Amino acid sequence: MNMGEFLGERMGRVVTQGVFVLAAAVILLVTGTQAGIVVILGVFWVLMVSGVLIFDYFKELGHLRELESIMDGLDQKQLIIECAPEPDTVYERALFSLMRRAGRDMIETVSDARAAQKEYREYIESWVHEIKTPITAARLLCRNADKNLQRKLTVELAQIENHVERVLFYARAEHPEQDFLIRQTSLDSLVAEAIERHRSLLIPNGVRIETCDLEHVVYTDRKWVCFMLGQLLQNAVRYRSGEPVVAFSAKSLGNLVQLVVSDNGIGIPAQEVPRVFDRGFTGSNGRARGGSTGMGLYLCRKLADHLEIQLDMKSVESQGASVTLTFPAKSTKSSSIQH
Amino acid sequence: MNKIMIIEDDSVTRDELTLLLENEGFQVKAVTEFTDVARQVGASAPQLVLLDLGLPGKDGFTLCMEIRRISQVPILILTSRDSALDELQALNLGGDDYIAKPYSIPLLLAHINALLRRSLGAQEPDVLEGNELSVHLSRGTASAGDTSVELTRNELRILVHLMRHPGEIVSRADLIDALWDEHIYIDDNTLSVNMTRLRGKLALLGLPEYIRTRRGLGYQCEKKF
Repeated sequence: MNMGEFLGERMGRVVTQGVFVLAAAVILLVTGTQAGIVVILGVFWVLMVSGVLIFDYFKELGHLRELESIMDGLDQKQLIIECAPEPDTVYERALFSLMRRAGRDMIETVSDARAAQKEYREYIESWVHEIKTPITAARLLCRNADKNLQRKLTVELAQIENHVERVLFYARAEHPEQDFLIRQTSLDSLVAEAIERHRSLLIPNGVRIETCDLEHVVYTDRKWVCFMLGQLLQNAVRYRSGEPVVAFSAKSLGNLVQLVVSDNGIGIPAQEVPRVFDRGFTGSNGRARGGSTGMGLYLCRKLADHLEIQLDMKSVESQGASVTLTFPAKSTKSSSIQH
Repeated sequence: MNKIMIIEDDSVTRDELTLLLENEGFQVKAVTEFTDVARQVGASAPQLVLLDLGLPGKDGFTLCMEIRRISQVPILILTSRDSALDELQALNLGGDDYIAKPYSIPLLLAHINALLRRSLGAQEPDVLEGNELSVHLSRGTASAGDTSVELTRNELRILVHLMRHPGEIVSRADLIDALWDEHIYIDDNTLSVNMTRLRGKLALLGLPEYIRTRRGLGYQCEKKF
């Protein structure tokens, strides 16, 4: 609100009053009042009206400033009415109480929604833990089948596990209050764990894995990064070409560490590369092959954001794709548990 | 024979684990009564305890602590709860190792063997011998008589795996599996290449037929005689 807007709004009333005062002055002159007195009355009127206007302007301005500063200081903006001071006029108080009712209703709705979301997430987490028991049992039971069936079943079970993992990490990524733990961890053991977890997917598909210079130490959450590498491995298998090779290599840039995961698969069309981390984006490759959800890389980016890992995708169509993970320097992260 | 105690409430998993570990040559004691588990552990004095954290009645963490109070037996914790905090807590309360469900069988066996080796101080023998051939693991050489050849890491692991299963037919898939256990991530073609080179080196030692190909089945190393 500035002076112009303020006056603009009141111009109608001021003009009406002006017309009335002019009419009164004419009547006073006609009925024989001295012109001097009429002028003095006019000056008084102008002083009074501008005085009232200026007073109102600064009062309203001050009130607005106060509300704005309360709003700025609020973490949850919908609570503004609860924190604002009670206004002076009857009309404003009526408005205020209407707003307060609306606000209360909204606060209730928001907290109900939050509680429902939290319960849902807790249910998903516990469901994921429950489902792991029968999967483990099925894995063990598998051994009783003949070798061929065993390999096929193991592949299918691994697929189930991957889907289950994605659900779990979706719940975690959407609600970053979930704990993650930044610890010192070596890249080679991280990569080895991710490969181990996807062995039953990689071996039957004839994937060769090359590792190079992985003797670096990073400060990050092991499980989350393991999950991310898993998504990259799954993609490398899904979009593989004739003789699939996945290469892991690392280098340090000052106090940052970069891990590059590259494959020699079918690659991604140039115009689609910027969108691969978008939620639900499957691209022409995904549509052509089916079975892709557009969630894997989206989750990777979400998790990477929480861990302050920078993710970059490069690809040349029909030659392969490579993803670079740049881990943050040690100094920016100390060993801490975040909630 | 090493005795392993299984503390797991899901009966299917428990039975299958028992079977698996018995087949691997361990003596297995599975707990079926979940009262007073710590005392049962003390009574049967196993070399290793597999502990599931989601037990009925008592919290697995407490149990872990109780076992630790009466025994120094290594505890391998198996759990489906895999948040970072669970893992830290498990290791803080006296667990020696930690695997998240669902684990793969080779991974589980590798962890069990590593833990047993660590606690019993058992060492892998450094020299493997079979027929005229002897393989020196830390030097990475194979020798027969007075001649010896250097092997690459891949060739060494292939040869060692075959020599550890003398007389058995080892399929290519099993061989690849075993190599992946050693963090050698090769594919079928690379295996063929490595196998050809390995045979070439064995031929230099005068043992060209040491590894036989059983067409359609896999490879075989002669049993000792």
